[in-house]
Amino acid sequence: MTEPNEENKEKDVKNNSEEPITVHVDELKDAVEKEIADAGGEDIKIGVYVCQCGGNISDVVRTDLVAKELEKFPNVVVSRDFIFMCSDSGQELIKKDIQEKGINRVVVGSCSPFLHETTFRKAVSSGGLNPYLYTHVGIREQDSWVHADHPKEATELAVHLMEAGVAKARLLEPLKPTEIKAKKHALVIGGGIAGLQAALSIAKADLKVTIVEKSHFLGGRVAQWDTVFPTDEDARAVLNRVIEEVLANPNITIHTGTELIAAKGYIGEFNIRLRQQPRGVSEDFDGLDEAIKVCPVEVPDEFNFGLSKRKAIYRPYDGCVPSGAVIDWEHCTKCGECLKVGKKGSINLDETPHEFDITVGAVVVATGFDPYEPFKGEFGYGEIPEVITLPQLERILSKDGPTKGKLEVNGHPVHNIAMIHCVGSRQKEGVHKPQPDGKVNDYCSRVCCTATLSAAKQIHEHFPDTNIFDLYQDIRTYGRGHEDYYINASKNGVTFLRYFAEEIPEVTKSPEGEKNPVMVKVKDHLTWGYEVEVPVDLVVLAVGMMPTPIQDLIGMLKVSQGNDRFLLEVHPKLRPVETAIAGIVLAGTAQGPMTIREASYAGQAAASKVIAMLITGQVELEPFVAKIDPERCEGSGECVKYCPQEEAIRLETFTEDGRTFQRAVVSPANCNGCGVCVSVCPNRAINIQGWTLDQFDAMVEALAMEVSVLEDA
Amino acid sequence: MKTDKEKVKSKILILATLSGGYLGADSAGQGNKEYAPNVYIFSVMTAAIFPPEFYIRALEKSVDAIIVMYSGSDCPYKGAAEHTAKMISQAYEMMKERGMDQRRLRLSAICTVCVDPFLEEVAQANELLDEIGPIERPVPAVTEAESVTA
Ligand SMILES: Cc1cc2nc3c(=O)[nH]c(=O)nc-3n(C[C@H](O)[C@H](O)[C@H](O)COP(=O)(O)OP(=O)(O)OC[C@H]3O[C@@H](n4cnc5c(N)ncnc54)[C@H](O)[C@@H]3O)c2cc1C
Repeated sequence: MTEPNEENKEKDVKNNSEEPITVHVDELKDAVEKEIADAGGEDIKIGVYVCQCGGNISDVVRTDLVAKELEKFPNVVVSRDFIFMCSDSGQELIKKDIQEKGINRVVVGSCSPFLHETTFRKAVSSGGLNPYLYTHVGIREQDSWVHADHPKEATELAVHLMEAGVAKARLLEPLKPTEIKAKKHALVIGGGIAGLQAALSIAKADLKVTIVEKSHFLGGRVAQWDTVFPTDEDARAVLNRVIEEVLANPNITIHTGTELIAAKGYIGEFNIRLRQQPRGVSEDFDGLDEAIKVCPVEVPDEFNFGLSKRKAIYRPYDGCVPSGAVIDWEHCTKCGECLKVGKKGSINLDETPHEFDITVGAVVVATGFDPYEPFKGEFGYGEIPEVITLPQLERILSKDGPTKGKLEVNGHPVHNIAMIHCVGSRQKEGVHKPQPDGKVNDYCSRVCCTATLSAAKQIHEHFPDTNIFDLYQDIRTYGRGHEDYYINASKNGVTFLRYFAEEIPEVTKSPEGEKNPVMVKVKDHLTWGYEVEVPVDLVVLAVGMMPTPIQDLIGMLKVSQGNDRFLLEVHPKLRPVETAIAGIVLAGTAQGPMTIREASYAGQAAASKVIAMLITGQVELEPFVAKIDPERCEGSGECVKYCPQEEAIRLETFTEDGRTFQRAVVSPANCNGCGVCVSVCPNRAINIQGWTLDQFDAMVEALAMEVSVLEDA
Repeated sequence: MKTDKEKVKSKILILATLSGGYLGADSAGQGNKEYAPNVYIFSVMTAAIFPPEFYIRALEKSVDAIIVMYSGSDCPYKGAAEHTAKMISQAYEMMKERGMDQRRLRLSAICTVCVDPFLEEVAQANELLDEIGPIERPVPAVTEAESVTA
């Protein structure tokens, strides 16, 4: 219990003067320590506060009666209703009651905990009480706003919910956030635009950053595009601005050709093992053109999405970063032809991968996406050479692409193009062929509509005689400046045809001798379902995005995937870049389809989370983790067996009074509070702090009580 | 069809995860979507903490139906969703032994903006309670082997 003292009175005076309440962290910590030491054996004194929310609650729920009813419950010392509990004066009420009436548990019934739980925890803290001796009860979204037609029942419901809150509060214990030392060093996995932006922002806050990029070059997918919406800039110019800054920042270390092979640890201290593939070619090698000429190996060039071939010694494009060439170890036969050209000793075909360790405080996962790869025969893909994907078209339009920017396919010029949207996106079960995991891609890939219309714009600018037929389900040009591409396409005479997912367009090879090699048939819903046949020279499939397959990484980092296979954040709105694993955050298209702009701000948001975590070299974790009751634990080991987190819980051998026994021990930094251990313990010896089974039992029991407030009134 | 007054007599407990069902309920609230006032929503961090006997105890003591609203395969805690489902299927076994209607306990994936699915779950639970009525208490006691309360 906290008695009002001189110091508190002084604070009172200050707080009455409309100034914001400031509590020093040290003061807060002292209060927490004291509270934990004092806990046990104290009288429980509960303060109950029912918020009227300016009528939002009290227009339906009789908050005065709820407060009056709650007064009757054991341990409730004070029970009030108030117009706005979240206001300064509302918070002041709580603080005053803590100090003057000695209340040591607080229950507030108000809006959703997502809005004001933190506000009230802070108010409780500033009253000198442990912030976790607080229970929040939602009686607005969960009651008054949904029971406006039943005020009596809504009032009784509020009483029940508040009573359950009081039942929980009786069993609350003071908690202390876990504090751990943090390495002021972050790891960014993936050197695409999202990873680069994240790294740059973290480094600017004077923290060390290591970028690990699986391929031998930086930039990710953006390096493969020609002109990017919504600014019509050269993609590489945009990318290079970021890469130059990254290269110039002394806080950033880059490892290309590198992947994680092991990860252990927790926020503040992740121990990471990396494996780097050798480049095989030194940066100053002067005979690259010649070496490429003499290399006898030819494989499809992944940079051009298989539209051209490359050699086993290669670099994706002039101006790539790093600028040197590399050996493709998978395909190199080590014939030694390349060793005969250029500066001696520049190529080493005997180089082997090297492994090394780093320790970091936080990890940003920015592993990006792969374009959807249509199945063989899907819209004729892989069977009709004139059917390509949008990424392939991007390469064709690029000055350094397989046709050097000429719009041609198989050496033939192109005059009529059909572009089909939603290939590999917004798929329907039963209509589309599922992926190997049995699921279809039912999500929208968001970027492809504008990317398709942007490509159409480029084509019209450079090849004005081309006719474009755009086959879409819905046009989703949602971002700032995106709609202009749609307007532009309409003005430029693009013919729009609308299909539905259940009646996908049919693409067939035209009979021999026809002028146009491909025929596209579509039931067009802009002309009331009229069957339209479009003879074309090229079909472009606007393929969607799928996350880069990173199963090994997911296994190592224990992050979750959504149903759509993209990595999953804790909460889509409120914690959009954090994963459930403290210290691991997400950036860019590894999390879902995004434009460059969105991937950039996702990278910067991830960075701000990392900075907040590591900047002081000390991390404070929410205390909602597993806790063992040593009296009850008999060392059954069930918790260890079922725990999905690595190193979160273990059995240790103890000796007490000459007796040797095993007991579970939690490593709070590794525990994410998932609760699996709680339900499997045969002795009820483990709980998630702040969310115990006893508390839930008590809450459920509270619901059994008969309540009839209005008859009493 | 029972009146709202009668409905209030039977209680539906919703155990709603903070990353799923609770936000679904919040969204329903923000949209002022009316539903029957016999629904008691408790927020939970994850539903994986509940052993099967927790559900039995709750049904024995106070509530007539329980809906666990979690985020299903979109659960941010790896392994927790599968574990919750496993605990609930064990609870079904225990309900069967006690002759309790297993439909009184449901596991449902509710996303943060799943207003309609949320309302549908509530409506269905109420329809069920209209049909089978509240639980007649006392319910046969939990056997020694199943009880873990120390
Ligand atoms: C056809 C097409 C055209 C587009 N045009 C535009 C446009 O005009 N404007 C626009 O705003 N957006 C456009 N986009 C979207 C744009 O490409 C993305 O927004 C952007 O590439 C996302 O960047 P990222 O860093 O998230 O992912 P990526 O670009 O995919 O980069 C991810 C990086 O991570 C690396 N990586 C993967 N796995 C690992 C691992 N295990 N370890 C280490 N590294 C790994 C990859 O090698 C890659 O370098 C287009 C997309 C498509 C498909």
